[in-house]
Amino acid sequence: MAKQGSGSILQFAPLQSSVDEGFWHRLSSLKLNKFGIDDSPIPISGFYAPCSHPQVSNHLTLLAESLPSDSNDESTMPPVIRGNRNRCSVPGILYNTNTMEGFHALYKQGLLKAEAMKIWEDIHSGKAVEDCAVLSRVLLISFADLKKWNFHYWFAFPALALDPSATLVDLRPASQWFTLEEAESVSAACNEWRNSSVTADVPFFLVSIDSDSHAAVKHLKDLEACQRDGQKLLFAFYDPCHLPNNPGWPLRNFLALISARWNLKTVRFLCYRENRGFADLNLSLVGEALITVQQGWREQQCVPNAVGWELNKGRKVPRCINLAKSMDPTRLAISAADLNLKLMRWRALPSLNLEILFSLKCLLLGAGTLGCQVARMLMAWGVRKITLLDNGRVAMSNPLRQSLYTLDDCLNGGDFKATAAVRSLQRIFPAVEAEGIVMAIPMPGHPVSSQEEKSVLEDCKQLNDLIDSHDVIFLLTDTRESRWLPTLLCANSNKITITAALGFDSFLVMRHGPGPFNSIPNLKAETENSLAAGMDNLALTNTDGQHRLGCYFCNDVVAPTDSTSNRTLDQQCTVTRPGLAPIASALAVELLVGILHHPNGIFAEAEIANSSSGGNFELPLGILPHQIRGSLPHFQQMTLLGHSSNSCTACCSTVVSEYRKRGMQFILQAINHPTYLEDVTGLTELMRSANSFQLDWDDDIEVADDECVEL
Amino acid sequence: MQKEDIDQISQIDTREEETCCSRNEDVLDDATLVQSNHHELHYCDFHIVYSSTFRVPVLYFRAYCSDGRPLPLDEIEKELPACASKELSKKKWTFITQEEHPYLKRPWYKLHPCGTAEWMKLLFLSDTANPKFEVVLELYLLSWFSVVGQVFGLRFYFKISN
Repeated sequence: MAKQGSGSILQFAPLQSSVDEGFWHRLSSLKLNKFGIDDSPIPISGFYAPCSHPQVSNHLTLLAESLPSDSNDESTMPPVIRGNRNRCSVPGILYNTNTMEGFHALYKQGLLKAEAMKIWEDIHSGKAVEDCAVLSRVLLISFADLKKWNFHYWFAFPALALDPSATLVDLRPASQWFTLEEAESVSAACNEWRNSSVTADVPFFLVSIDSDSHAAVKHLKDLEACQRDGQKLLFAFYDPCHLPNNPGWPLRNFLALISARWNLKTVRFLCYRENRGFADLNLSLVGEALITVQQGWREQQCVPNAVGWELNKGRKVPRCINLAKSMDPTRLAISAADLNLKLMRWRALPSLNLEILFSLKCLLLGAGTLGCQVARMLMAWGVRKITLLDNGRVAMSNPLRQSLYTLDDCLNGGDFKATAAVRSLQRIFPAVEAEGIVMAIPMPGHPVSSQEEKSVLEDCKQLNDLIDSHDVIFLLTDTRESRWLPTLLCANSNKITITAALGFDSFLVMRHGPGPFNSIPNLKAETENSLAAGMDNLALTNTDGQHRLGCYFCNDVVAPTDSTSNRTLDQQCTVTRPGLAPIASALAVELLVGILHHPNGIFAEAEIANSSSGGNFELPLGILPHQIRGSLPHFQQMTLLGHSSNSCTACCSTVVSEYRKRGMQFILQAINHPTYLEDVTGLTELMRSANSFQLDWDDDIEVADDECVEL
Repeated sequence: MQKEDIDQISQIDTREEETCCSRNEDVLDDATLVQSNHHELHYCDFHIVYSSTFRVPVLYFRAYCSDGRPLPLDEIEKELPACASKELSKKKWTFITQEEHPYLKRPWYKLHPCGTAEWMKLLFLSDTANPKFEVVLELYLLSWFSVVGQVFGLRFYFKISN
């Protein structure tokens, strides 16, 4: 910037705008709740303060308080703003349009002239001398796109142009213009002016210095008195600009006032600037301007030209800001949830793998008491992709125990649980990617007629595809037999499978072991697995002999059959103590998180909780059990371990290879013929030989899950 | 993708406005300084708010660009002086949450106050004299600030305390 010598045109540094995000927030709120499509101009107040930093100019700022209140009980009054030393209030007006086209169609020159006219009138009426804050005004045009949270806007700071422009006689740091004594006195007087709540926000004032180098700060209306005294007189103003060679924008209208009202030709001015809250006369400037306006310029009816539209990086275009991240409620919810989980990682669990949770796809079979709770727990852990499968509709008794449903879901026969659950999840956390599948799971012991066969096979196929396309499957249905097919399919696809089952006052939560046909990764040497050496050969090897962990059916002696017919009402409805479902669901999800953080994942060996393990765990989340069985009457839970059974009706190698060989035909046979599975697995044979010992077999074993039956 | 939209709009405006401006000089005149350097500045506001739940002062902060766009936490952390980000990572009690500012009702970040009472006790443990309340209050705030300020590399100027 060339230093301005005497005789050159006095150039002012334009004001710069700064809009606090709260301003847009309140404007949005006003638009949505109060104004609607009414686009009448809105009175606003801007704020500025003298420059407080040698390298950075202060801006003219709009805050939430710049707009009228958005609460319903107050009318749209212009905001009554009491300034303070950090905020000089600038009256202004906002034209907010309803469309982008409307924004561009605004007659900007006309709007600017109208605001300039107000200043001109205040100058001539004397109001500008009484209340000098009106010498500065702010004009804002905007278009708020409240769907995308884009705010287009353009500021103008109306300035009356002198014609011709004023010339600069001299400009230098104030400390170089005042004597040392004068400087000290001026600083003191200005600091006093700034510290008093009455004058702190009065941005234009007079500084008069008497022959004793004693300075006094006066209001503009005292000008005549000061001139009479014949003392040194400076026209001072709060200058937001920091530049050493240019005064700030507010001086423009100040000079217009001085010329129009008092007809002064030579004006000595003080650009008042501060540092750390105190007058800084090195940063402040004293200058002398020469005003030589044309004849007639001062006449009231002849309104001067106005300039002042703000440039956007040097271009005459509006600005735009996108605030979706801080204003869109969904985005805020996402960032809050993320931050929460990251906090857990910082504070307590540095090895927490959030990425795996975010990308995990979970399939929940059953959207009842267990399904609803598991879904919520998964979301709390940061899981976003959840699929719920359920055939039923929400019944009137459900909302009490099934935490995703409310009464509305029960009306008119009840919505499908799967769809209602998805809706509910989205209301809780809009960013969830939830899907609902309305489907019945084909079950052994519930034979199908030939007409239904086709659709049942389709269901089997769909279930298989679902299992294949997800990473984790939760078995949360209310019957044993409905768990059979999913268990088989999961064992076939080697998917992480978690079962939760409820008795009246007891529960079981377990993770299924890996399927029978999988290469076991090289685990610890203690397994003494000679097969582990030749990984290539393991693809089709039967791993039953490797003590893989069992599934839900591994301990059963009978195949799953129809457990729902011929039962009393309370058995059919699986009524349980209400506390069980939340406990079991929570444990199921925590167990899953444990698996995900275990280096061996689905192949992880099982650990048993014992009191001697204390607080030191190998893994940060603690032990990884196989089964957790809990009893409410005892307020106790135990961790158990069960290995897979060679005769398991769901996951043994015989069954899985039959499935692989014959596919849907095998399934159909299992569904339609109650004893088929027992025959295939050799259980029939086993029972026959056991019967010959004349032992009593309980026919109804499947009801009780609270006893471990060792084979 | 939105950035492209904005630029498109700006393009339209440029054409419109430049024709507009050649007719009416409503933007610049010879008395307007035209600046060529446009520095991007980041601002950070700090508020000290009393928490009635924890009964201690809490440091709230937020950062934004000169056009008002808020800066996310990871960008703020990048700009902290090196010693400060070390403080942030090592001390167990300095962690940052995002919460609604109690008065401004907008999302701000804050240094969580759950540990403040504890470490303030340590600072004051040795103080056995019974000074006047105003002195205690000032001492408390100074001590508190000297600790939390470290997280941001904020230093304290004693001139203010006089």
